[in-house]
Amino acid sequence: MYALPFLVIMRLHRLALDARRRDRTWRYYAYSVVAGTLAAILAVVALLAAYAMWEVGWWPLAIAMLVMFVAPPLQPVLSRRIFVPLGLVRTAFWAGHFVSMDDSDAYALCCAAWAHARKPTPAGEAWITARRDKRIPLGDSEIVVTALLAAGRGDVETTRQLMRSASYMVENHPLVREVAGEWLAVDAAERGAWAELHASAISARYPASALTYFLEGVAARRVDAKKPPGDFELRARWLLAPHRRATRMLLREPAVAPPRSATIEAAPGEGGARQAAVASLPRAVAAHLELSQTRKPSLDALAEAVTAWDAALVDGETQKWLARRALELDAPLGAVDRAIREVALAVTDDLARLADAASLGAPTAHGPVGDALARRLRHGRLDALESGFTRWEQRRHTGSVRAPIDEWREWVALRTAYEAAVSAGGLELRRLAFPHAYSKGTSMAVWLWNSRNEYALSHAISAWLREEAMAVGDTEAIELCTRNCKLNVPTRTGDVRGA
Amino acid sequence: MAPNVVDNPFLVLGLSPDVSRIEIEREAHKLLGMLELGFADVQTYATPLGPRPRTAEAVRAAVAALRDPYQRLVAELWARHAPPVKASAPVETAEESRPAPSLRRALGWRP
Repeated sequence: MYALPFLVIMRLHRLALDARRRDRTWRYYAYSVVAGTLAAILAVVALLAAYAMWEVGWWPLAIAMLVMFVAPPLQPVLSRRIFVPLGLVRTAFWAGHFVSMDDSDAYALCCAAWAHARKPTPAGEAWITARRDKRIPLGDSEIVVTALLAAGRGDVETTRQLMRSASYMVENHPLVREVAGEWLAVDAAERGAWAELHASAISARYPASALTYFLEGVAARRVDAKKPPGDFELRARWLLAPHRRATRMLLREPAVAPPRSATIEAAPGEGGARQAAVASLPRAVAAHLELSQTRKPSLDALAEAVTAWDAALVDGETQKWLARRALELDAPLGAVDRAIREVALAVTDDLARLADAASLGAPTAHGPVGDALARRLRHGRLDALESGFTRWEQRRHTGSVRAPIDEWREWVALRTAYEAAVSAGGLELRRLAFPHAYSKGTSMAVWLWNSRNEYALSHAISAWLREEAMAVGDTEAIELCTRNCKLNVPTRTGDVRGA
Repeated sequence: MAPNVVDNPFLVLGLSPDVSRIEIEREAHKLLGMLELGFADVQTYATPLGPRPRTAEAVRAAVAALRDPYQRLVAELWARHAPPVKASAPVETAEESRPAPSLRRALGWRP
């Protein structure tokens, strides 16, 4: 009877936190204040009760009181400030366990993996992996836990890829998603990828922790968003967020460094120390060298180099100069054509390598380099995608069964490669790549659903194939994928109605 | 394509594309001798992308390439139209404004 108000406050505290996770407006601040106040009341009352029990000699009850009623409202602070920095994997797990009644292992494992990521040990990894592998079928928490294990190994690329992939899952543990969202927000801030962080905030892909919400505010100001938070609002977000000392510098606007460019000059023309024999070639060589020296080449820079090469190699002056020098040097017959072919091949090889590394599409230029580059990029990317999808689907026939998380990683890697290729190759490449991805993807989705009971994984594949089918306008594929997506997906948080 | 420019035989030998075959041979002998004696001046050669290390193997490969008329034609094509050589490496382009690299750790995350 006396515990009833306490339980009501506890419930209200959880409701306030849940409501905050769904919001990114002024209500976020209101729910934060409410949740903070209720947590303080809960902790003080439970502490007083535990103290009273200790005093009268009921110390087992006092300890139980501390564990059951003091730890849950203070868990975010305890985890972040004590368990995680000290790498207390099991303590972080059990503290996280009491926070939620709904599939409590999901968030608890994430807390344990977070602590492991800070202070990785082989024993900690083995303990987390064993607990994760018991959880079948695959859900979002297993993905985030695996990402944090990769973080513990220092593998930032895998961590990023897996954290991003959690949003493809239909199973949704808000507490787990909050952890993934915070890691991605901090990662984006670390890389200075403010536009990426702002795009994620607009789409509200993940529930925002107080730290995420602050970093999103910083991102909105740095990318000149339509409605960035004002000084007062940003300071309020900063006050709500943890690690204020470390984030204080983000409150200030960045000092914009004057752009320093590693420009490469073209060979001097008339009057220079060394006169170029053909006017168009120096421009091509300089544009190409500049492109190869840029850390992130742009499509415009690639197009400029390709156009310059096409112009230079079909230029009559180039042919004339080569013919004259071939004669003077007593070069063999056909040396001019062979030299032009050799240069075009070397240039195409190098430009294709640069374009692949930067995931750039082929520019719309026609000539010996432009045409060859377009062909090379399209065929190379299509071949790589087709062999990847074929290898993936062959496992169904060879009976080579992998752990659910490995199935997920393989599919995420294929999807990432597909998206990189189609974003570089445009709609034309997308239309060419989709039929193969569709036939192999559907086959795997059916197998994973029917034979492996990996419903959420199968649904993620079908949902992605439907998106792609819509993008390329394949009506038969849209129909089939929509039917697959409409199936109810059994998850640990209940059946998710397909859409 | 960068190898065609930075490993160009004319640049390796430090010669202009107009030189005669005799001058090429003479310069190669001189460089090989100086490299064997360990002269500091000849340990690197200038390219449009900054200095590169010069080895006896590279010098021999360069002179062998320039003895072949076809290979010399191609080498001339690159050497005549390459940008001017630079004594030091080019400065990298400043990109997005980044906060301190330790931000992730300071905010409680790894790696």
